[in-house]
Amino acid sequence: MTGTGEQVMFWILGPLAVVGSLGLVFAKKAVHAALGMAMTMIILGVFYLAQEADFLGVIQIFVYTGAVMMLFLFVVMLVGVDSSDSLVETLTGQRWATAVLAIGLGGILGAQVGKATVGQSVGLAAVNAQTGNVSGVAQLIFGRYVWVFEATSALLITAALGAMVLAHRERLGRGPDQKEWSKRRFQEGKHLAGLPAPGVYARHNAVDTPALLPDGTPSELSVSRVLTARDQNLSPSTYTDGEREIERDVREGSER
Amino acid sequence: MPAVFQAVTVDYVAVAPMLIVVAGALVGVLVEAFAPRARRHGIEVVLTLAVLLAALVVLAVWSRDHLAVTVGGALSVDGVALFLQGTLLVLSILSVLVMAERFGGVGSDAFTPMGASTPGSGQEDAATRAGYATSEVFPLTLFAVFGMMIFVSANDLITMFVGLEVLSLPLYVMTGLSRRRRLLSQEAALKYFLLGAFSSAFFLFGSALLYGFAGSSDLKAIAQAISSSAGGLDGLLLPGVVLTLIGLLFKIGAVPFHSWTPDAYQGAPTPVTGFMAACTKLAAFGAILRLAYVGVAGNRWDWQIGVVAIAILTMVVGAVLSVTQTDVKRLLAYSSIAHAGFILVGVLAFSKAAIGGVMFYLLAYGATTIAAFAIVTMVRQDGSEASHLSQWAGLGRRHPVVAGSFAFLLLAFAGIPLTSGFTAKFATFAPAVASGTAGIVMVVVGVLASAVTAFVYVRLIVLMYFTEPVDGVVALPASIGSKLAIGVGLAVTLLAGVAPTYALQLAGNASQFLL
Repeated sequence: MTGTGEQVMFWILGPLAVVGSLGLVFAKKAVHAALGMAMTMIILGVFYLAQEADFLGVIQIFVYTGAVMMLFLFVVMLVGVDSSDSLVETLTGQRWATAVLAIGLGGILGAQVGKATVGQSVGLAAVNAQTGNVSGVAQLIFGRYVWVFEATSALLITAALGAMVLAHRERLGRGPDQKEWSKRRFQEGKHLAGLPAPGVYARHNAVDTPALLPDGTPSELSVSRVLTARDQNLSPSTYTDGEREIERDVREGSER
Repeated sequence: MPAVFQAVTVDYVAVAPMLIVVAGALVGVLVEAFAPRARRHGIEVVLTLAVLLAALVVLAVWSRDHLAVTVGGALSVDGVALFLQGTLLVLSILSVLVMAERFGGVGSDAFTPMGASTPGSGQEDAATRAGYATSEVFPLTLFAVFGMMIFVSANDLITMFVGLEVLSLPLYVMTGLSRRRRLLSQEAALKYFLLGAFSSAFFLFGSALLYGFAGSSDLKAIAQAISSSAGGLDGLLLPGVVLTLIGLLFKIGAVPFHSWTPDAYQGAPTPVTGFMAACTKLAAFGAILRLAYVGVAGNRWDWQIGVVAIAILTMVVGAVLSVTQTDVKRLLAYSSIAHAGFILVGVLAFSKAAIGGVMFYLLAYGATTIAAFAIVTMVRQDGSEASHLSQWAGLGRRHPVVAGSFAFLLLAFAGIPLTSGFTAKFATFAPAVASGTAGIVMVVVGVLASAVTAFVYVRLIVLMYFTEPVDGVVALPASIGSKLAIGVGLAVTLLAGVAPTYALQLAGNASQFLL
C-alpha cells in the first residue's frame, strides 16, 4: 500500500518529471534539453528509491545522470552550444500531422491500458528481506539472463568499433614539425615571429577576440580560423570602448 | 540472508555455433588492432569465412542433436531456430564472399577506404592511395550474424531485444561506409539508425506492457498468462502485442513501417544491401514466427486482422511502387517489401506447414537476393555502379552471362515456375489457403501483386535484351569469391525450383517449436 508521504512525493515529482521530458522535446537549446532530461532521470531514480528498489535507484542516478548525461553535455558543449539546427520544415504540415497522430496513439494506448485493473501492489519489502536487493538483481543477471548480459558486451564492442570506423581520422603521412614550420616562415618571409596572439585587454583576454594592430584595427590573423568560420568571434570594440571610458574618467579625475 | 546462487545450466553444444561466431568476431577485432595494414583484408576474409563455416559445421553435425530450451529459458534452440540459424550462416557466407570483392583494388571495392574522411576530400584520395581499407566490416558482419542468431532463438522478450540491438547496430555502421556516393550512404545510415532506434523503442514499450500483463518476459509464461487470464489485466495485452509486433514488422520492412527500406537499400554498399535484404529479413521473420506462434498465439483473434491488413498493404504498396522505380537498388528494395508481404501471408496461416513454408521462402529468397545484389555490384559505368535502369539497357548483348544470370534471378523474384520463387510462393500460400477466408483473400492479393511485380521484372529483362546498349557500361570481371556466391545463389534458385523436395522436407521437419 502506498503511504501518504510517498503519494505526496509522487504528485510533486511526477509533474516535474513530465516537465523535464517535455523540455527535452521542446527546448530550443541543446543544453537545456539535456538538463531537462537529467532532471527526469534523477526524479525517476528517486521514484525507484521510494519503491524500495535501492540499488536500481542509486544506479539510475549514478549511471544515467552522473555518467551518461554528463557525457552528453560534454558532447553538446564540444560540438558547440550555438550550433542549432535550422528550423525550416522541409515537409509542410508535418508538425500538425505528428501532433494529431501522437495524441491519437497516446489516446488509444491510454484508453486500452487504462482498462486494466491492477491488484493490490505487493512491493519489494518481502523480496528485499529475503534475497536482498543487490543480490536479487545479481541472481537475475548472472542466472537466467547471463546469456543476454554477455551478449551486451558484443553491443559495446560494436559501438566502440563503429565509433572508430566512423569518426577516427588517421593522419596520413607526416605533418611538418616546428623546425620545418619556422624554416618555411623564413623562406616565405611572412610572419617571421609567428602569427599574432589573440586580444589581451586591460580587464579581459580571450582567444575569441582579435588583437588590435598599432593603428587600432583588429587583426583577423590572431584568431582561430575555426572560430571565424563559425562566426563566433567577438568584436574588440566592447573592450576598447570600456577602456576609453576608463581613460576618460581618469582624465576627468586628474583635471578636477 | 541472501539465497544461495544457483547457476543456470547451459547446453554448450546447442549454443556452440553462436559462441563460435562471437569468438570469431572478437578475434577479428584483434586482427584489426595488431595485423599489418596490407594483410588485414586477406586475414579478415579468411577468418570470417572460416568462422562462419565452422559454426555451420558444428550446427549441422552436433547442435542438431541438442534441441533444448537452455540458459534458464532465455534461449530456445529448437528445430525452427536451428534451421534459421543454419540458413543464416549459409547466406552470410555468400554475403561475405560478395563483400570481399576487390575488383583488383587493395581493400573491398564496396567500402570506403576511411569512413571518417570527408566525402570527396583530399584525405579520402590520400587514404585510397595509401592503401587504406575498412576491413572492420568483417568483424561487424560477424557481430550482426551473432545478433541474428540470438534473435531467431530468443525465447524471452529481453533476449529478443538485445538480439535486435546486436544485429542492428553493426548494420547501421555498415550502411554508412559505401565507397561511392558517400553522402547518400551516410544519409541512409542516419535514417536507418534514427528509424531503427524509434522502432526499438516501440518494441521495448510493447515488451514492458507484456511483462506487466504476464509478470514475466518469457514467451512461454506469456502464453500461459494469456490462456489463464482472469481478465483484469487484459487491457495491457493487446497494446503490448501490437507495439512489439510494430518493432518487428519495422525490421522486415512491412508497410507502413517500410519508409527506411528504399533509402537504406539504395545508400548502403551493395553487398551490405544484399546482406540486409537476406539475413535481416530472415532473422526478423524468425522472431515474428516465435513471438506469434509461441508467445501470443492465444489471443491472435484480437490482433490477427490488423496484421492481415498490414500484409495486404505491404504486398500492394511494394508491388505498385516498384513499377515507378528507376534505380535498380530501389527497385529491388520495393521488391523486397513486396516479398515481406508474401512471407507474412504464410506466417498468418498459423499451422505447422506454414512454418516450414515460411522458412523455405526465407532460404530461397535470401539466396536469390544476395546473388542479385552481387550482380548489381559488377555492372559499372565510369567506375561507379550503374544503378540507373537506363544504364542497364542492352546489357544482355555485351555480357550475356551476367545479364542472363540476372534475368534468371528476376524470374525467380517474379515467381515463375522452375525457379525457387514459384515453389517458395506455393509453399507459403498453400497453408494460407487452407487456413480460411482471410488467408484466401491474402493469397488472391498476393497473386495479383506477383503479377504486377512480374511486369516490372520482365520490363527490365526486355530492357537488357531488346534495346541498344549504352556506351561505357561494363560488367567487371568478378573474382572467384563473387562468382562462387553468385553461382551458389543461382544453384539454390534453380534447385529449389526444380527439385525442392529436400529443402522443403528439411524445413518441414524442423518446423516445431520447443516449449
